[in-house]
Parts: sequence; C-alpha cells; structure tokens
Amino acid sequence: MRTRSAYLYLLPILIGLTVFTAGPVLASLGLSFTHYDIGQAPTFIGTSNYRELFHSDLFWQVLLNTCYYVLLYVPASIIVSLALALLIERRVRGIAFFRTVYFLPVVTSIVAAAIIWSWLYNSDVGLLNYLFSVIGINGPKWLEDPHWALPAIALMSIWKNAGYNMMIFLAGLTSIPKDYHEAARLDGSGAWHRFRHITLPLLSPVTFFVLVVTTIGAFQVFEQTFVMTNGGPGVSTLTLSYYIWQMAFRFFDLGGAMALGYIFFLLVLAVTGLQFLARRKWVFQQ
Amino acid sequence: MKRVLHYVLLSLVALVMLSPLLWMLATSLESPDALLHFPPRLLPASPRFSNYGTVVRELSIGTYFFNSIKISVIGTFGEVMAAALAAFAFARMEFRGKRVLFAVLLSTMMIPFQVTMIPVYVIMRYLGWLDSLASLIVPHFFGGAFASGAFGVFLLRQFFESVPKELEDASRIDGASRFRFFSTILLPLSKPALMVLSLFVFMGIWNDLLSPVLFLSSEDKMPLPFGLAVLQNAQHTFRYDLLMAGTLISIVPIVLLYIFLQRYVTNSFLQAGLKG
Repeated sequence: MRTRSAYLYLLPILIGLTVFTAGPVLASLGLSFTHYDIGQAPTFIGTSNYRELFHSDLFWQVLLNTCYYVLLYVPASIIVSLALALLIERRVRGIAFFRTVYFLPVVTSIVAAAIIWSWLYNSDVGLLNYLFSVIGINGPKWLEDPHWALPAIALMSIWKNAGYNMMIFLAGLTSIPKDYHEAARLDGSGAWHRFRHITLPLLSPVTFFVLVVTTIGAFQVFEQTFVMTNGGPGVSTLTLSYYIWQMAFRFFDLGGAMALGYIFFLLVLAVTGLQFLARRKWVFQQ
Repeated sequence: MKRVLHYVLLSLVALVMLSPLLWMLATSLESPDALLHFPPRLLPASPRFSNYGTVVRELSIGTYFFNSIKISVIGTFGEVMAAALAAFAFARMEFRGKRVLFAVLLSTMMIPFQVTMIPVYVIMRYLGWLDSLASLIVPHFFGGAFASGAFGVFLLRQFFESVPKELEDASRIDGASRFRFFSTILLPLSKPALMVLSLFVFMGIWNDLLSPVLFLSSEDKMPLPFGLAVLQNAQHTFRYDLLMAGTLISIVPIVLLYIFLQRYVTNSFLQAGLKG
C-alpha cells in the first residue's frame, strides 16, 4: 500500500537536500569551469581553473601538507583510541568516571581545543615546554616552527578526537564473545597472543569503519589551521580545506576554489575507494 | 596487584586527558603579569575570579553566548523535527522511490562541505540572509546547510522500526490520525533516541565554526566559536587569562549537557555496535 502523505513528512528534508546539497554539488561542478564573481554572470573558461591548479607549485605543496597530516594523524589516532578502549573495557568500579573523562575532549569544541593548545604550545611560557625542560629537554617552538607546526596540530587533534573512536572500539570489543578468550586462555595462550589472534581479527570490521571515517575527517582538517596557524608559518600548515577557503574568501577566486573543491572531493573518494578495495586483505569476514 | 596497576594506568591517562582543561581553568584565574612568568605556576597564587566578569563586560562574551544559545536551541529543535518526520516516513510508510531516496540521503554524508560551501554562500546572499542569524538557524529546519540531517534520519529510523507495528494499528483503529500517532505516541516513546540525537545536533551547532565564519560578519551576531577565534587571532594584543576564561565559559554548557545525558550516549554507542 502506498502512502501519498509520505512526501509531506519528507518535504523538509527533500527541500534541504535539493537546495543545500544536490543543487550546490551540481552548481559547483558547473561553475568550476568558469570565471565567477559574486553578483555577476559566470564566464565559461573551460578547464583553465584546473590546469592553473595543476601548474601551481603551491597546489602541490598544499596537497603534500594535507597527505602528510593524514599520515601523521590517522594511524596514531586509531592506535590511541584502541588503546583507550582496551583500557576502559573491563568493568571495574568507577569505570564510568574514566569513560566520561576520556570522552570530555570530544564534546569540547574544536575552537576551544585549538585555543587551549595554542597556549600549551606557547614557546616562551607554555606549559608543554616547561614540562619538557623539567626532564631536561629543550622543546621545539611548536606552532612557530615549520617542521613542528603540522605534527603539533595532529597531536592536538588526537587528544580532541580519541574519545569518539574509543567508544566505537569499545562497542566492538564488548560484542566479541567471551568464550573465545576463555578457550584460548585454557589452551595457555598469553594476553598478547589473544589480542593478536582473537581481538584484532574479530575487531577488524570495526577498525575498518573507524579507518574510513577517520581518514575522511582528517582530509577535511580546517578549524585547527583557521584558529592556530592561519596556514603558517610560511605555508607549512596550509591544507586543502583551508586553501579552498582562502582562494574563495581571501583572494575571491571562486571558480578556482570550486575546481579545487572538486579535486578534493575526488581525492577523498579515491582514497575511500582504495580502502574498500584493500579491505579483503585484512578485514575478517564471518 | 594487577588491579592496582590498572587503576594507576587509568588515572595517568585521565590526567593527560584532563590537564589541558585544568590548565585552561588555572590560566583563567591568573593575573596577566603572572602569565609572563617562567617557569609557569601550576596554581594561581590568588585566584582572580574577576577575569570572568571582565570577559563578559569588555569582550562581548555575553553577546556571543546568547547568540550561541539562540542558534543552538532553535536549530536543534528544527533539525530533530525534520529528521523525525522523514524517519517516520522511511520507517513506517511505503512510497515510490523510497529505497533510492534513502540511499541518496545517506550518500550525502560523503559530500564534504568544501564542495557545497560556495554555492550555499551564494544562496544565502540571494535570500538576503548573509550577516543575519537566519542563515544559521533556518537551514536546520530542512536538515542543515551542510548535510547533517542524514545522520539523524538514519538514527531515528532504526529506532522507529523497533517500535511494534501493533501499537500504530491499535491507535489507528481508535480513530487517531497517522500524525496524531506520530506526535503523541511514537515521539514520546522515542525519548532515548531523541535525547541522543538532540545532544549530538546541539553539540554540532554549538561548536560549529564553519557556518558562522561563512555567513556572518558583524561582531554582535557572532556565536562563541567565531568570537573566540577572532579573539585568538588578535592575541598579540591580548591576554591569555581572559581568553581562557572566555573559552571556559564556552565549554561549560556543553560539558554539563553531556554529563547529564551521558548514559544515553554510552547506550547508543553500544547498541550501534551490536547492530552494525
């Protein structure tokens, strides 16, 4: 039985889908082949915007920065999240408190986190370098040093987001049947052995999901550079998202920004696609 | 012994997770001269609570705060309603194009804001909503300007499907309309799911930087993240004690809300794990 009134219930979402997503996705594709100034008619210029990007050194530098950030952030963040999940898996007294504390940075806004960490990273009077100096290490200048700025942003992001993936891993861990561990224990296998041969394989579908979502998120890094570095020092923390933003709203090259937006979109899709292709090699299927 | 070690480890990690937030608290109570002191003092000698009064009076934190409240409360209501209506249709009705539409809706979660951002900006300009709070509130009644509605539809549909069909049949036989069943029976029954969704949507809007920097320019309309980001970028002329006080004010409501609702959150993660 079909219900006509269904479309009434769907109306708000359908309007939003058309006006804010489908329309803009198509408009953006079309306009990426134009020279476009707001308030004026776009002029078609073919693939110029794309060619210009591919010929610009800055574009390649920004692409490299973004990939470097993804590689710094994604593996480390997944390992930390999994470690946290293993730590809070056992239902000991007071575990809810620890779970809440570990999740706290997730509810904190990224802007607040970025501001707090800028202060921690302060190279003259910051807490971090003070703590390093106590154990006799001369800390780097973090956000002011082109070599350290991007790792510093990655470190802050790990602190900020680890709790989220921790919860997803925790859900995955609790759904692994206890009998498997019991049986292996009776056979005399140690904790590491059980982790390596029971937990990891059975958790791998969850790990795959976490990997895909975390990678997409990492490519989009924006607020951190907006608040902490504005892409600097030099262009060392200029990432694709922030560069698209600059092109559009600092240099008013809207056509170029939309072309870069599409390159970005295709890049993320391609990486996601590759992850799906590689899935069979390591994800356990029941 | 092993148990002690476990607690030691748990506490050490908790310290690492908390210390940036504690450092924010300590700094927010410092005097400006003390901040230039090296080595830094871990605890302020005499806490200056007046810093909080100063940021509200002199740095418009109060204005940002009320803008944030307004946008987040109304926006959350709109987005949760839009999602609930659509989820109801997907969970309980048959209509042409249902599967395709659901797939399209879910796939919008894959579209990054970098692609739609400029056309959406242009649309806001045509609507005359640039630099007005409407640009930040109204889109949520249609699922949000950056495709955030899909997540809510997905979450609520799962929940609505788990409510027994007989309940709807019974209320329909009693003469209630479909909408009446939805609003007076289904929604109240779905409180846990609605709570979790509201928390996540509220958090998303409260913490959002992108839409405000995209659409707003006047200081008196800025929500907290935008206002704080502007202050942070002016920090060479600025004081970290006040910046930390402002940042703390921005975090408190969302942390309280989370602590208040956290048992719903944990359950939703665990349930998602069992299903997926």
